[in-house]
Amino acid sequence: MSLQTWKRLRTIAKREVFRIATQPIYLFSIIVAPIFCFVFFSTLMEKGLPTDMPAGVVDLDNTATTRNIIRNLDAFQHIRITASYASISEARRAMQKGEIYSFYYIPEGTTEKALANRQPKVSFYINYSYLIAGSLLYKDERTMSELASAAVGQATLLAKGATEAQAMAFLQPIVIETHALNNPWLNYSVYLCNTLFPGILMLLIFLTTIYTLGTELKENTAKEWMQMADNSITTALFGKFLPQTAIFFLIAVFYNVYLYGFLHYPCNSGIFPMLLAGLLLVIASQAFGIFLFGLFENLRLALSAASLWGVISFSISGFTYPVMAMHPTLQGLSVLFPLRHYFLIYVNQALNGYPVTYAWQPIVSLLIFTLLPFCVLKKLRTAMLHFVYLP
Amino acid sequence: MNRKSLRYTLKQGFIGLLHICTHELKQVFKDQGVLIFFLLVPLAYPLIYAFIYTNEVVRDVPAAVVDLSNSSQSREFIRLVDASADVKIQSYCADMEEAKTLLKKTKVYGVIYIPEDFSKNLAEGKQSTVSLYCDMSGMLYYKSLLLSCTNTSLTVNKQIQIERAGNTTERQDELTTAPIEYEDVSLFNPQDGFASFLIPAVLMLIIQQTLLLGVGMSAGTAREHNRFHDLIPQTRHYQGTLRVIMGKASAYLLIYLMVSAYILCLVPKMFNLVQIALPWTLLAFIFPYLLSCIFFAMTCSVLIKHREACLVVYVFTSVPLLFISGISWPGAAIPGFWKAFSYIFPSTFGINGFVRINSMGATLQEVLPEYRALWLQTGFYFITTFLTFRHQITLSRRHALERLYVFRLRKLAAKRLKG
Repeated sequence: MSLQTWKRLRTIAKREVFRIATQPIYLFSIIVAPIFCFVFFSTLMEKGLPTDMPAGVVDLDNTATTRNIIRNLDAFQHIRITASYASISEARRAMQKGEIYSFYYIPEGTTEKALANRQPKVSFYINYSYLIAGSLLYKDERTMSELASAAVGQATLLAKGATEAQAMAFLQPIVIETHALNNPWLNYSVYLCNTLFPGILMLLIFLTTIYTLGTELKENTAKEWMQMADNSITTALFGKFLPQTAIFFLIAVFYNVYLYGFLHYPCNSGIFPMLLAGLLLVIASQAFGIFLFGLFENLRLALSAASLWGVISFSISGFTYPVMAMHPTLQGLSVLFPLRHYFLIYVNQALNGYPVTYAWQPIVSLLIFTLLPFCVLKKLRTAMLHFVYLP
Repeated sequence: MNRKSLRYTLKQGFIGLLHICTHELKQVFKDQGVLIFFLLVPLAYPLIYAFIYTNEVVRDVPAAVVDLSNSSQSREFIRLVDASADVKIQSYCADMEEAKTLLKKTKVYGVIYIPEDFSKNLAEGKQSTVSLYCDMSGMLYYKSLLLSCTNTSLTVNKQIQIERAGNTTERQDELTTAPIEYEDVSLFNPQDGFASFLIPAVLMLIIQQTLLLGVGMSAGTAREHNRFHDLIPQTRHYQGTLRVIMGKASAYLLIYLMVSAYILCLVPKMFNLVQIALPWTLLAFIFPYLLSCIFFAMTCSVLIKHREACLVVYVFTSVPLLFISGISWPGAAIPGFWKAFSYIFPSTFGINGFVRINSMGATLQEVLPEYRALWLQTGFYFITTFLTFRHQITLSRRHALERLYVFRLRKLAAKRLKG
C-alpha cells in the first residue's frame, strides 16, 4: 500500500472518530446500548436457575401425612408453597391471576386409602404458559410424587423385614445418573447470556454500520468523503469502518472478559479463541451491514432489513429453540444469519472446549460473510458519487 | 358567534382534531417508511415467528448408546428410549471415546451409557445405574433426554418390581408398583409447546415496538420537513396542544385497532395456538394498552431528531423488553430493581394481561392490577406527551415569531432605504 493511501486512510479515520464523538446517537448505539444490555441480562438472570417459585396446594385430606408431603414439597429447590386453597377452582383462579405457577392437589381420603392399600391418586396442575417456570415445577412435583409413593412402599417393605438397601433396590432397580456436561448447575444465564450478548452487539453493529453510510448520503457529505479517498470506495470504506471495528472489538473484549473472567462462566477453550470469535463476529456483522446498504441503496430500507435480520437472529440461531426442530426451510435459511455461526463456535469452543477443527464450518461461514461487501462495491461507489438521498 | 365562548372553542377544537387526524392518516399512508412499521411489520413478523416455532416441541433428539452390558434387559431399555417421542437412538457405539467423537461432531446431543454390570446387578437384586451425558448447548435437548430416560426407567422399574413381587392378581401388581398414583395435568398449553408460550408475548410486544418506531419515524420526518426542525407545524389547525395530541392519537388508534384485531385474533387462529379469550374482556383490555402505547410512543418521539434514528434507538430494546416482561424469564425470579424498571413500559402489563386473558381465559377481574396499571400509564404518558408537545409548540411559535420579527425588520429596512 502506498504512503498516500495510508495518509488518506488516516484522514478519513480521523474524520470518522470526530463524527462518532460529536453525535450522541453513535455513542448510544456503540457504547451505551450494548453495555446496558450486558449488565441488564446478567443481573436479570443473576440467580442462574430460578428458585422458590410460587405454587399452591389444594389439600382436601389435611392429615399429618399430607401435611408432611406439602412440607417436603416446599423444601424442594424450585418450589415455594405460597398459599393453600379450599378448592381446585379457587386455585385455578389464583393461577389466572398470576399468583401461582402450579398447584398440587390431594383429594379427600388419600391417607386412608394409602394405609388401606386402595391406591389413592394425587395430581399436580402446571401452567405451561410460563414454560421455564412450568418445566422446573414439573420436575420437582413429579419427584415428590414418586417419593411419596416410594415412602409408602418402603414402609411396607421395611415392615416385612427388608433392609434399607434391599428396599431401595426393590423400589428403584434402575437409577438414572444425569451428567449435564459443562453446565452442571443447569444455569440459564450461562445458556442465554453467551448468545444474547453477541446477538445484541451484532444487531447494533448492523444498524450503526448502515446508519453511518446512509447519513453520508443524507447529509450530502458522501462526495467529500469519496474525494478524501481519491474516489476509491475500498479506501473510503476501510478508513471509515476501521475506527468502528476497533471500538466494537473493544466491546466484544469487554463482554468476553465480563462473562469468563468476572462471572466465571464455563470457558473450556481459554478466552483467546473466544476473543477471535468476537473479532470475527464484529467484522462479519459490519460486512453484512455494508452489504445490505449496497443492496438497497436506501437508508430506511436497509435499516428495516437489518432490523428484521437482527431480531430474527435471536430465534433462528437456535440457542433457545433448537434449529433441528424447525421447518426444513428454516433449517436451510439459518446459515444466512451470522449469529447462528457464532453460536456454533461458542458451543464448540467455550462451552465444550472441543478441538477447533470440529467448528471449521461456522468459522468458514463467518469468513464468507466478511467477503460480502465485495459484491456491492461498484454499486456503493456509484451511489456515493451520484445518488441523492431518498427518504 | 362570541370567539371566547366555550361552544366556539369546542367546535374549533373538534374541527382541528378532525383535521389533524385526517392529516396524520394521510401522512402515514403517503410515507412508505412509516407504513412499513404500521402495516408490513405487524403483518409479517407474527407469521415469521409463528413459523419458526410452529413445531412447538423438540422431537427425536439424536442420542448415542454405549451398551457394555449388552443383555436383553439393557437392549429392552434402549428400545424403550428409542420408542419415546423425544429421543432417537442415532448410533450404537463400542466405547465412550467413539460416543464422544459423535458429540464433538454434533451428530448426537446425548450419550446413554449402560455399564457392564447392569444386568448382573439387576439379577442380584442390587441397584443398577444408567448414566446419561447431555450436551448443554440447548436446554430443550437436555429436557427431552432426561424426560425420556426417566420415563423409561420408571416403566422398566415397574416391570422388574412386578416380576420380583410374585403377586397373583393384576390389582396387586398395581398396588406394589404405585401405592399412591399420580397424574400431571398441563394447563393452558396442553402440548407444553414453545409457540403457545412465546408467541402471545411476542405479539403484544410487536404492537408496542412498531408504534414506537412508526410514531418516532413520523416525528423525525415532521422535524426534517419543517424549516426550523420543529416537531409541530405552526398553522391554523395546530393551535391547541390538546387537539394536536388527540388528533394524532386518534389517527394511530384507528390504525392500530385494525392491526391488533389481525395480530391478536387472526394470527393465533391461523397457527392453532391456544386462544380462549373472552372477546369483550380482550377488547376492554386492549383499549388502554393501545392508548398507553400510543402516548408512550408520542412522548418518546420527542427524542427522535432524524427520521431513521428511531430504528437505531428502538429496535434492540425488543429483546430486553421480552425478558423483563416475566414470560420467558419467570416473573418471580426477576430482581426488584428490574421489576420496578419494567413498570415504565406498557408492554410489561400488556403482555402479562394478554397472556392470562388469551391463553388462560382470565376475565377482567383477574387481570385487574394490569388493567389499572395500563390506565395509569395512559394518564401518565398523556400528561408527559402534553407537556413535551406544549414545549414543542411554544418552541415552534417562538421560531415563527422570530421569523416574523426578522421579516418585519427587513421590510422596515427596505422602506427606509427607499425613503
